[in-house]
Amino acid sequence: MTDQEILEKLREIMKTSSQEEVDWDVVVPDSTIDGLGFDSLSILDLTYDIQQEFQVEFEAEEMVKVATVKDMIEFLKAKSA
Amino acid sequence: MSEKKRVVVTGLGIASSIGMTADSFWSSLSSGTTGIRPITQIATDDFRTRIGGEIPQEQIDSSLKELGFRPDERSVSLAHIATAQALADAGLFTAGEPPVRSEAGVIYGTGVGAAHSLYAAYAAFAEKGMKGVRPTTVPRCMANSITAQLSMKFGLTGPNYVTVCACASATTAIGAAFRMIRDGYATQMLSGGSDAFFEPVTFAAWNNLGVMSRDPDPNRACKPFSADRDGCVLGEGAGTIVLENLEHALSRGAAIHAEIIGYGESSDAKHITSPSVDGQVQAMRAAIKCAGINPAEAALINAHGTATKANDETEASSIREVFGKAADSIPVVSNKSYFGHMLGASGASETIASILMLKNGKVVPNLNLENPDPACSLNLPTGSTIDLQGDIVVKNSFGFGGNNAVLVLKRAES
Repeated sequence: MTDQEILEKLREIMKTSSQEEVDWDVVVPDSTIDGLGFDSLSILDLTYDIQQEFQVEFEAEEMVKVATVKDMIEFLKAKSA
Repeated sequence: MSEKKRVVVTGLGIASSIGMTADSFWSSLSSGTTGIRPITQIATDDFRTRIGGEIPQEQIDSSLKELGFRPDERSVSLAHIATAQALADAGLFTAGEPPVRSEAGVIYGTGVGAAHSLYAAYAAFAEKGMKGVRPTTVPRCMANSITAQLSMKFGLTGPNYVTVCACASATTAIGAAFRMIRDGYATQMLSGGSDAFFEPVTFAAWNNLGVMSRDPDPNRACKPFSADRDGCVLGEGAGTIVLENLEHALSRGAAIHAEIIGYGESSDAKHITSPSVDGQVQAMRAAIKCAGINPAEAALINAHGTATKANDETEASSIREVFGKAADSIPVVSNKSYFGHMLGASGASETIASILMLKNGKVVPNLNLENPDPACSLNLPTGSTIDLQGDIVVKNSFGFGGNNAVLVLKRAES
C-alpha cells in the first residue's frame, strides 16, 4: 500500500471518530493528530478503527510517539511489515 | 413546597415513519397515511414478520445533514432530530448555531436503548473475540446514553435521566418531567422517548415472542380493537416535547400547544407480559384525580391500542370501568396502525399526536377497523377525521413489566 493510499484510508477513518468538524481534504502528512479533534475517548475509537481496517494489532500506548499523520503512516507501515 | 405550577407544552419534535416534522406527521395522520413498510435494515427472509414502521435512511441522513449533526447510534440520532425540532419550535435553538446552555433538564424514555450499537458489539465479539469489541461500547450502550448525548448536544444542564419501563417509558418520562415543573424543581424540561430496534436479534426476539402481526399487507397489518387483529407491528422513532412552567412561557411570549393537567402511574405486580385491568384502572384514576376532572369531561381517549388480543380487550375493560356510561360516547382511538408500536417512544409520538388533535380540533380515526371486536365495546371512530368535542384528552401507555402510565392533556387556553 502506498503512502497516499494509507493517507486516503486514514482520512476516511478519522472522519468517523473525530469530534470536530475538520476539512479532511486539507489533511496532509504534516497535519498534527492533536489538531484533528480527538480526545482521550475518541482516540480509542480511532485506534480500534485503524486496527480493524489495516488488520494490525498494537496497544493504544504505542501511539504516544505518533504526532503527525506522517508518523502514523510510518507507524502503520512498520506494523504491517 | 409552594403552590403547584401549571405545566404547558411549548415545543414539539418528531422523527417517525410517517413524518420527520410535526407538520408532516400531522399531515399523514389526518390523511390516513401509514408508515408501515417492508423492513430494509435486516435480511428478513427467515422472519415471520417482515414489516414495520421503518424510517427511510435517506430521511434520517437528510435531517441530520440539515442540522449539521453527525450520525450516532440510531436511537440517539433520532432523539437528536426530534429534540432539535422541539427546541427550535419553542424558540430555544437555531440549527447551525451553538446551543444556548440552560438549566432545562431532560427525562427521556427508551425501551431497548442503544440496540444497534449493542448488536454491533455482540456481532464483533462473535466474529473476532474480545479484540473485536469497540472500546467505546460502554458509553455508546449504557442505558442513559440518550439523555447524556442530548444534554451535551443542546447544553441542557438540569436533571438528566432515562426512564426504562418498556412501552410506558416515554409517557412515564413525560409524567416525571411534568411533576418536576409542577412541583417547582424545574422551569423547563424536555421529555419524550426514542427507540430504534430494527436489528437482527431484537427483531428476531419479537418474532419469536409471538405477539406481532403476520399479515403481510403493511397498510392492513395493524388492526387495533378489530376482531381479526393478529398482533402488533413495531415502528422506530423518537418524539420530544418541551414542557414549561406556564408563567415562564407567557413571560417569554412562547406559543403554547397544550397544557398537561394530570399524570398517574401504577404497576400491575402480577405478570411480566400479561396486562391487568386493576393496574390500568389504578393509573387512569390517578391521572384523572391529579387533573381534577370528572372522567366524563374527557373528549377523547388516545389508547395504548397495540392490536394484540390481550392488550385491546384488557384496555377496553379498563376504560369501561373508569369511564362507566361515558365510555359509550367518548371516542377511543389508537394511533399505532399509522406508525407502528414505537415501544419506549410510543408514549411520545402518541402524546404529540394527542396534542396535535387538540390543536387542530380533530380526532384521527382508527384504521383497519371494519370488524370491531365485541369484547372491545367502545366508541371507536373510523373513516375520516371527526371534530373533537371538548378540550381534554386522556393518553394511555401500558408496558411489559406491568407498567401503566397515563397523561391528561388539555387544549391551550386562547
